[in-house]
Amino acid sequence: MAEYLTIALSKGTLLKPTLRLFQAVGLPIEGVEPESRNMVFTFDNETIKYIMCRPTDVPVYVEQGAADLGIVGKDVIVEQGKDVFEMVDLKYGYCRFVVAGPAVMQGAGLKDLNYKRVATKFPVMAERFFRSQGLQVEIIKLHGNVELAPLTGIADVIVDLVSTGATLRENNLVEMVKIMDSTTRLVSNQVAYRTKHDKIQPLIETIQKTVKGGIGQ
Amino acid sequence: MRNKEVPGGTRDLLPDEVAVKRQMENKAGNLFRSYGYEEVITPTFEFLEVVETGTGGSIREELFLFMDREGGILSLRPEMTVSIARLAATHLQDAGFPQRLFYMTNVFRHVQPHLAQYREFWQIGIELLGAAGVYADAEVISIAINTLREIGLENFKVSLNHIGIVNGLLDSSGLSADEKEHMRHLIEEKDLVELSALLEKAAIDEGLKEALASLPVLHGGLEVLERLPELGKNATASQAAQDLMKVYDLLKISGLSDHVVVDMGVLRGLDYYTGMVFEGYSPDLGYGLLGGGRYDNLMGKFGLPLPATGFAMGMDRLALVLKQRETEPERLLVGGRNYSAVTAKSNELRGHGFIVETDVEGLSKAELEQKITANPTRTLIYVD
Repeated sequence: MAEYLTIALSKGTLLKPTLRLFQAVGLPIEGVEPESRNMVFTFDNETIKYIMCRPTDVPVYVEQGAADLGIVGKDVIVEQGKDVFEMVDLKYGYCRFVVAGPAVMQGAGLKDLNYKRVATKFPVMAERFFRSQGLQVEIIKLHGNVELAPLTGIADVIVDLVSTGATLRENNLVEMVKIMDSTTRLVSNQVAYRTKHDKIQPLIETIQKTVKGGIGQ
Repeated sequence: MRNKEVPGGTRDLLPDEVAVKRQMENKAGNLFRSYGYEEVITPTFEFLEVVETGTGGSIREELFLFMDREGGILSLRPEMTVSIARLAATHLQDAGFPQRLFYMTNVFRHVQPHLAQYREFWQIGIELLGAAGVYADAEVISIAINTLREIGLENFKVSLNHIGIVNGLLDSSGLSADEKEHMRHLIEEKDLVELSALLEKAAIDEGLKEALASLPVLHGGLEVLERLPELGKNATASQAAQDLMKVYDLLKISGLSDHVVVDMGVLRGLDYYTGMVFEGYSPDLGYGLLGGGRYDNLMGKFGLPLPATGFAMGMDRLALVLKQRETEPERLLVGGRNYSAVTAKSNELRGHGFIVETDVEGLSKAELEQKITANPTRTLIYVD
């Protein structure tokens, strides 16, 4: 039996640019549609398999070896802290982690945030950031609509992902501090990288060249 | 009520699992002994000072720590190499060297538990103490490969590297100790994105940059060394590369080269490694099976400066990839009304190598037959 290369793909906004990239590097994409309900796509001639995952699940699939490679945002990698090899910065899916607060806090600095309440979908990353700054905050984990937290009074500020900043503005929030930038990454399972090196390394090199050439942005 | 819980990351091993574990231990133990290695046992916990003298303190957050009544800080052993270095430096300094020791034991690390990663896990391993040079390295790596074969693994690879290559290159870079440490970490973790960002900013020679950037992805046969022209300019690194080539050749002579690859990204996490390092993988498991290497500075920290090399393999992980289990002797259930006849028959059969359960419930023949129908792994012997 031929050995398949399995790639975990992030569903949602990352899928379109990922498929553009795959087409550019010669990976099969026929029938892989963002609207499709299929969760596994198998290409027997190319011995390639795709698993369609929620972005936050991609590091799990890759760490455990259910997928050899994965396409996922740096934001997710940082939050989950899984042991995967981070092979290529694919440059698309740009966003940044920021601390944001109500307009009245415009101009306030980090030191003004000590002992404040911080609402976020990314508690690990937020906690680590504030601790590394020598600050103590109360982290309030929310699962969505984090922008509501300061408006409703359950938190003083938020830590969230921002791409254009439009959502912040709509909710009268201002960006106070940028924590880090995030783009999409190609990650690899630690063992698969070695046991399937003949397949993975050439693919990585092709993708690196293609990304440098500006395709997939 | 918590009387059904076990602490996170620990587990019960049931009879089938223990059978697999013992089977691996027997095979590995016999193999180690056949090479002249002798088993030692060390305390389950050590003073924190001992553990940190060996590991450099980098694994402090993974240690299970507690205190004794005199205020000393104790640590459950996170691995065995440091304990064996301490043991040898204390008790074996007058024995002839090289010394060959092995162990089979549980070790403890406070890690995030998941499949194939537990907080209490079992390791078997060997240490070859007091022998420098490539022949000692080759012996230890050969035993690692032969152990995996003996246990019944077929499809596995052992990745070789020499720490001197990356250390030599980094030392010539002029980077600070912290920067070098960070870069070693990125190479080991294969964080190519951060590594290339860091190298772009670093004020070091272009050729050297290229060499450092390529280390994590250099993987294959000896020809990967040819892709590192920088080696020729660096005495430490080129000596290391020669040792690596020599060890590879020795393994080839032993007929083991099918299982061996060179991987410049293998650096091993622990601080004490100084020379050849290696790791073993199976395509059936997303985590490494074994790791080891040369640690020439560790014994000296315990007052007996001698070179040494060794490896440890994770038995819990091996069990996950081991497919076939050895067949056991036939199982019999012996019953009957006459106790002395039943006992005599049972002992006779045990003498012939059968596994014999003697009925302790005083069952009739019909009842015993029912038992066998319910659990047909046994054969009934009824003594009239």
